Amino acid sequence: MSDLAIPTLQSEAQRERSAIGSLRLVQTACILVIALVIVSPLFMLLIASLKDDRFQILADMGSFRAFWVSNPTLSNFAEVSNLSGELAFGRYLLNSLFILGCTVGAGLIVNSMAGFVLAWGTLRGRAVVLSLVIALYVIPQESIIMPLVIMMSRAGMTDTFAVQIVPWIASPLYIFLFYQFFAQLPKELFEAAEMDGASVFRIYRSIFLPLSLPALATVSILMGIESWNQYLWPTLVTQTDHARPIAVAIATFFGQDSIYWDRAMAASVLMMIPILALYLAFQRWFVSSFVGSAVKG
Amino acid sequence: MGNRLLSFLMASVALGGLAEAKTVIHVMHQGDPGWVSTYGEVAKRFEAANPDVDVELIYAPHDAYNEKFSAAVMSKQLPDVMELDAPFLANYVWSGYLQPIKPLIDKDILDDMTESNIAQGTYPVDKELYAVGLTDSSVVLYGNRKYLEAIGARIPKGVDDAWTREEFEDYLEKLSKLEGVKWPIDTFRGYGIKTEWITYAYGPILQSAGCDLIDRKAWKSVGTLDSDACVDALTMMQKWVKNGWVVPQSSGTNQFFAEGHPAALALGGHWFYAEAAASMKDDIVVMPLPTFGPKGASPNGTWIWGITTASEHPDVAGRFVSFMLKDKALRDYAREDSAYPGLKSFAADSPLYANGGPMAVSFEQASKTAVARPPHPAYPIITSAFMGAVDEIFNGGDVKAALTAAAEKIDEDIEENDGYPPFGEQQ
Repeated sequence: MSDLAIPTLQSEAQRERSAIGSLRLVQTACILVIALVIVSPLFMLLIASLKDDRFQILADMGSFRAFWVSNPTLSNFAEVSNLSGELAFGRYLLNSLFILGCTVGAGLIVNSMAGFVLAWGTLRGRAVVLSLVIALYVIPQESIIMPLVIMMSRAGMTDTFAVQIVPWIASPLYIFLFYQFFAQLPKELFEAAEMDGASVFRIYRSIFLPLSLPALATVSILMGIESWNQYLWPTLVTQTDHARPIAVAIATFFGQDSIYWDRAMAASVLMMIPILALYLAFQRWFVSSFVGSAVKG
Repeated sequence: MGNRLLSFLMASVALGGLAEAKTVIHVMHQGDPGWVSTYGEVAKRFEAANPDVDVELIYAPHDAYNEKFSAAVMSKQLPDVMELDAPFLANYVWSGYLQPIKPLIDKDILDDMTESNIAQGTYPVDKELYAVGLTDSSVVLYGNRKYLEAIGARIPKGVDDAWTREEFEDYLEKLSKLEGVKWPIDTFRGYGIKTEWITYAYGPILQSAGCDLIDRKAWKSVGTLDSDACVDALTMMQKWVKNGWVVPQSSGTNQFFAEGHPAALALGGHWFYAEAAASMKDDIVVMPLPTFGPKGASPNGTWIWGITTASEHPDVAGRFVSFMLKDKALRDYAREDSAYPGLKSFAADSPLYANGGPMAVSFEQASKTAVARPPHPAYPIITSAFMGAVDEIFNGGDVKAALTAAAEKIDEDIEENDGYPPFGEQQ
């Protein structure tokens, strides 16, 4: 009986192992397919930017030829980089970088301070303020864009860098993200620092802020992407190349009668690089922030 | 030392005064990279010829032009000169944004305008000219000679000789069975509903079929846009789509001269010619739009230049517009871009459109069949309602229901604005 039982148990374990192996294989295959679907538009963008015929790019779009280039060329990148005057690509790129740097820099300070005060401040009615902040998040940007244009115009801020930075520094979403992160830190930290005589600002700056790297990274990336992709707002409030960002410049390639896919694709690839670099720089903390949030529920 | 300092300060003040004395005009425009740099060069030449004037160009992307214009209106930052799409002219004039342009433009330019150009810049209520352009536009039927010969199709020689609806549908069916033809026709669905294409190019099909987007006397859409003739015309177009005869929106805007020439016909704008001809050489045939009912109809109207009521220097703005329309380099660029002439002198200089020219038939349409889009202040809602309905119909929606909903939406807007007085009363 026992002689017979041992091999049976072994074969059951083997079968279980093989079932788990097959399941993992299916899982991996599914993940690969999903990854492929997600990455394919980016890959298509990159391939299209290496084609020298804009009509061919268009013709290839509905087929697998969109993922293949027989004679790759960098001429589109050269053309985009050589544009000058009102179309100077480099100028727009620097404008975008400057706007991103200022918005994210100021945004981290303002939103983290607000989040900290809501989590640990002594302000009465914090719960009401927090509810208001959350309520503000559901108001779509489009619904306030025209009144905001009028406000900015009356403030004499049109066609400046400030008009593209100031309105987007404080954000209900990022205040809430910081609030959530700070609120999860142990109360003892705050009390110990308080007993040592540290002011609220000192506690924020020297203890809580250094501990919030994952939140800082998350907000940097999300805010950076948001700022980098702004199109309608800068179109409405800027007039000239003086302060306009790259997203508006790329729109030039989408004309009334023709779309210059070749240059638009090359410009889009160039536009993607800085934001990709930002993501890669903060990726470790960004991921750990999300994992942390998930674990803490 | 004190005297020197005083002289220096006085000179600085004087120079500062001179710098401030420069007149600045703002010019808002759209366009692709070629046009953007051409306008930039024209502005530089104008400044060189008028050292007391600074021209500040304001570029607005084509697909966000209306939003940019609304923002300029709301923030009271209308430019002096603005490029505008001709069918929106009535709305802008009714809203008080444009001023009559005749007194501000050189007389030789005014005398040089074609009738169609005058029509696209004229507000029908007071019959005043509010905008002027170097160009106009049209749509023709392009054909692939090899395919047409293969099915034994008749090639029309002029507008009076256009295909009838029966001939056209018969050819579509034959082409759908021809080897090498993936789609019998490209109607440029790829332009989507963010552009004016659907109203501009498909509107004349309704007019040719005996109806319209709106009754142009009573200014009511219900009873016109949802009339039997319009329902029939759009049912016909829906059938083309259902049969798989039309290039789908997802396939972009070039299946006529793309590799392998998968589309046999193209209902395309005049701007399509240069690229198509360069690719297809002698295989390209340019034909008038088919006649779908009692009369022929074709579109006209393009982006033209107006001077706003907000301009503090309308005389300088007028000088700039006149200078631009006469600028040789701008005309050269426009001609290379196969631009459709709106000035007689430009037409004379455009062999493409002259008698016997490859696009002569499109110029013939301008005088024989061109129908302007409804010149009414409600045009923005007319076009958006119609485009939405066509999109729904092409995606399999009920034709009558979609057109009725669009017509009701248009009439509601006109009623909400009390008929846009004095527009309705004076028509």
